Amino acid sequence: MKHVLGDKRAIAILLGPALLVYTAVMLVPVLWSLGYTVFEGNTIIGFTFVGFDNFTRLAGDPKVWDAVLFTLKYALVVTVGQVFIGYLMSLLYVFVLKKSSNIVRTLVFFPVVLPTVAVALLFQKLFEVAPQTGVVNSIINSFGGESVDWFGSGANAFLVIAIMDIWRSIGFYGVLLYAGIVEIPEDTLESARLDGATGWGLVRHIVLPLSLPVLLSAVIFSINGTLKVFDTIIALTNGGPGNATSPLTLYMFQTSFSYGEYGYGSTIALLLTIVCLLVTVFIFRSSRRDLTKA
Amino acid sequence: MTTSTLAEHAERTVPPLSPSGRRRLGSRRPGRIRAKLAKIPLNLAVVFILVITVYPLIWLLLSSFKTNDEFVNGSVFALPETLNWQNYIDAWTTGNMGQYLSNSVLAVFPALALIILLGTAAGFALEVMVWKGRNGVLLAFLVGIMVPGQMILLPLFTVYFQTGLSGSLWPLIITYTGIGLPLTTFMMATFFRSIPREVFEASTLDGASIIRSFFTIGFPMVRNGIFTIALVQFFFIWNDLLIALTFTNSSALRTIQVGLLNFTGEYGATQYGPLFAAICINVFGTLVIYLALNQRVMKGLTAGSVKG
Amino acid sequence: MSRQMSRNAALAPILAGAGALALVLTGCAGGTGNAAAPTAFTYLINSENTMIPGQITALSEDQCKTENTALPLKVETVPQTNLDQKLQLLAGQNALPAMYAAGNAPALTKTLDESGNVVDFEVALAEIGALDDIEPAAISTIKSLYGGKFNVLPYQYNIEGIWYNKQVFADAGVEVPATWGELVAASAAIAKTGVTPFSASGEQGWPLTRLVGDYLFRDLGADALQKVADGDAKLTDPEYVAAAQAIADLGAAGYFGQGVGSIDYDTAASQFLNGKAAMFYMGSWILESLNDPERNKIGADNVGFMPFPAVEGGKGSIDEYPANVGLPSTMSAKVYDDKVADWLGCIAENYGSAALKDQGTISGFKANSEVSGVDPLTQVVQTTISESTSSVLWFEALFSTKATTTSQTNAAQLVTGAISAEEFMKLVQADLDS
Repeated sequence: MKHVLGDKRAIAILLGPALLVYTAVMLVPVLWSLGYTVFEGNTIIGFTFVGFDNFTRLAGDPKVWDAVLFTLKYALVVTVGQVFIGYLMSLLYVFVLKKSSNIVRTLVFFPVVLPTVAVALLFQKLFEVAPQTGVVNSIINSFGGESVDWFGSGANAFLVIAIMDIWRSIGFYGVLLYAGIVEIPEDTLESARLDGATGWGLVRHIVLPLSLPVLLSAVIFSINGTLKVFDTIIALTNGGPGNATSPLTLYMFQTSFSYGEYGYGSTIALLLTIVCLLVTVFIFRSSRRDLTKA
Repeated sequence: MTTSTLAEHAERTVPPLSPSGRRRLGSRRPGRIRAKLAKIPLNLAVVFILVITVYPLIWLLLSSFKTNDEFVNGSVFALPETLNWQNYIDAWTTGNMGQYLSNSVLAVFPALALIILLGTAAGFALEVMVWKGRNGVLLAFLVGIMVPGQMILLPLFTVYFQTGLSGSLWPLIITYTGIGLPLTTFMMATFFRSIPREVFEASTLDGASIIRSFFTIGFPMVRNGIFTIALVQFFFIWNDLLIALTFTNSSALRTIQVGLLNFTGEYGATQYGPLFAAICINVFGTLVIYLALNQRVMKGLTAGSVKG
Repeated sequence: MSRQMSRNAALAPILAGAGALALVLTGCAGGTGNAAAPTAFTYLINSENTMIPGQITALSEDQCKTENTALPLKVETVPQTNLDQKLQLLAGQNALPAMYAAGNAPALTKTLDESGNVVDFEVALAEIGALDDIEPAAISTIKSLYGGKFNVLPYQYNIEGIWYNKQVFADAGVEVPATWGELVAASAAIAKTGVTPFSASGEQGWPLTRLVGDYLFRDLGADALQKVADGDAKLTDPEYVAAAQAIADLGAAGYFGQGVGSIDYDTAASQFLNGKAAMFYMGSWILESLNDPERNKIGADNVGFMPFPAVEGGKGSIDEYPANVGLPSTMSAKVYDDKVADWLGCIAENYGSAALKDQGTISGFKANSEVSGVDPLTQVVQTTISESTSSVLWFEALFSTKATTTSQTNAAQLVTGAISAEEFMKLVQADLDS
């Protein structure tokens, strides 16, 4: 029977179109852009071969390393936040809300639908310091604290970006993880309960290990989004103050298209791709280890 | 796992909507009043969560009726002084939202259909079919998930320009499809992994009919997974700004997200009223689609987890 | 990952093929021929600007009807944030339209000029005998911006200075300050009355760096930043750091109010227009809002305009107004032909008076026909322009795009004290050096 599923023509028909489009739109342009890493210039003045200059420049560019650091910090905080809070939400849906969870799930999903521009404006207003005092500062004031200029320092701005990105995606991760938990067979939970497992014990020893696969896919999903964050930052802080909140994507885009250094921009993009790859491989590796333990 | 257990799985996603089994379990516990008291903080938490997620929508709606002056100088919470429908008229006419909305629909839905069709077929070919080198191809697709989208802009612009596609929505449709395929193919392959090969072998006698059984058996079986992917891809494409900005070369081709940029002035001034009206048209339009599909979508997301 | 890939024979040919295809395509991209004669008078402009395309469309239906029949006007817009990218991509394909917005920074226009994409208007306008239609002041501003070349059209001509609230000045008992010392003293007096002395958008950044630049021009003379651009001086030199320090001191004293870093353009403008701030440094394009009673709640009569004050013992003169041509437009040399030249002639002859009459905006084109009913504040600016003999640019005018971005995104931090004046200048200088 093997030959049926090994039919070359069928494989070509099924895989061909996708592979063709993917190759033409992604692979070729990516390789093409990688070719620019040994050139410098832009489309207006043309390109000149510079060998490995871009790479030595990359190694010595403090802005790149600031951006890498920010990207990693951001990806770590936001991914952990998204997945952790999403997981709490999903536990809430499954074990607390039960019947009424459908409507809550739907409502909490709303922010996912909002355009980035709108979300950013909302958060700018919420965290406003002057001329109006935003909600957050009002709350701080009512506890006797001083108003904080949230977008005035890198650390504060980072906090606002992280809160915003986590806020807008908990609905999504809540539902995604809900999927994994709700699939745990009722018998398993029942027998665990009979063994005396309740509350957090039940979650830690039964639910968590059984939902690890879906947690893993949520983490990979999230980390690949957060490592390549672009729209959110542009809309909320545009990388500022200074370049305290500039991720690699933004630095790459500016370098290529605003500063007209396309070759160097491609080199930064290559670095980002490698970072994504390493992080994903790292997560896969560490999760394998955990899975075997569980 | 066989077909029937898969169906059971899909069924099992329904119980939380009517979880008779678990409810019985809960009511058997002693100290019902104490349990209820203990639930108060939890209920408060739920209310809190709902407030922080639903309030922005109300805020958006209110802001869309405010004048620029009210928005900039007034309190964030203040109600609009009058129902300023002019904002909506501005958004629709000078902001050209009607045209942009139709462009978005014309670019997003064909791309979405292509992503689903090609991605599912590729996932099928990579997971169900047996051939040498499929792991390599799967890895090649995986690389596509990692690559930052900014990298493909310049080469693609050149190609679209040289081939004369620039004056149409084709660049958007093609690019969205290409970018959406890696994740879709990868996820679909994972979905197909949970279906045993024997299902297809039993229903297939020759090479030609394997394609038929992909459509008649394979496609329906991963229906829920498809909904998940379609949802994720829809929000990604619908909210895309970068690609739409780069590949549309005339105002007649702009999508709705690019159109939202139209309300800013040269030196940084923003027409907040019409901007919010346009956002509302966008958001509540999407919400209508979303609510209409909600039941399916939730089930899709629920059933469409990756089974490692 | 790579180990697994190499094990896979199936993948190798695909990758090889893709690579080869990439090379072929790259080769193709380099070898595009010259652009063909235009079939339309296409104008690519940032979508934020509705004034200029509106006015040119009006011309096409009236004074420039003949030109429009020969070569019909077609307006295309692109969001300002995306303009530079679009220009680069189009220039790479030799596909820049007949007329286009010249980019967010003069540096890009210069690059476009070096690659033969920009018309030399000194030559082009002289050929059609229309050089006299341009205000000499505008030409001198453009030339100092673009290294001595007349590369862009002055659809806007703006001067900058400090708009002030006369009532607030009177309440605080201060006179219009003529020197920096007086300005600081006046700010202190105004702050005591509970009014914020300055309204400024730190979110935009440039309204703050403008002050640094102006201080430099007043203190070190009109060529202060040219020296930096030429490498004869560095921003990190003590006399340059002093300028940044002066502005940082204003911020440290709280004269910009709270949260200046996140205040956007509208908020800054409306703070002044609602009487919550005493002074507002801005270009003359703000006249549109000042003349609009809907927006200007303090009344146009209550608004005064003063030049950036002199710095005690400085080399610069208070009469040198900072001037600019907004985000200017230029024409593509590659598609410039007789029909486009006709358009240029018609625009040069008619744009000045049409814009002043229809929109009350001041351009660098002479108003060739009499215009009546101009708002008093607009008249003040017009007189100032016609009486001024020389102008200066702005802080980043001669900087690279990268240094410009760095300067404007760090400006807020300078006035909030998050970074010191020295650090600020060091950051910008680092990008000038690279």
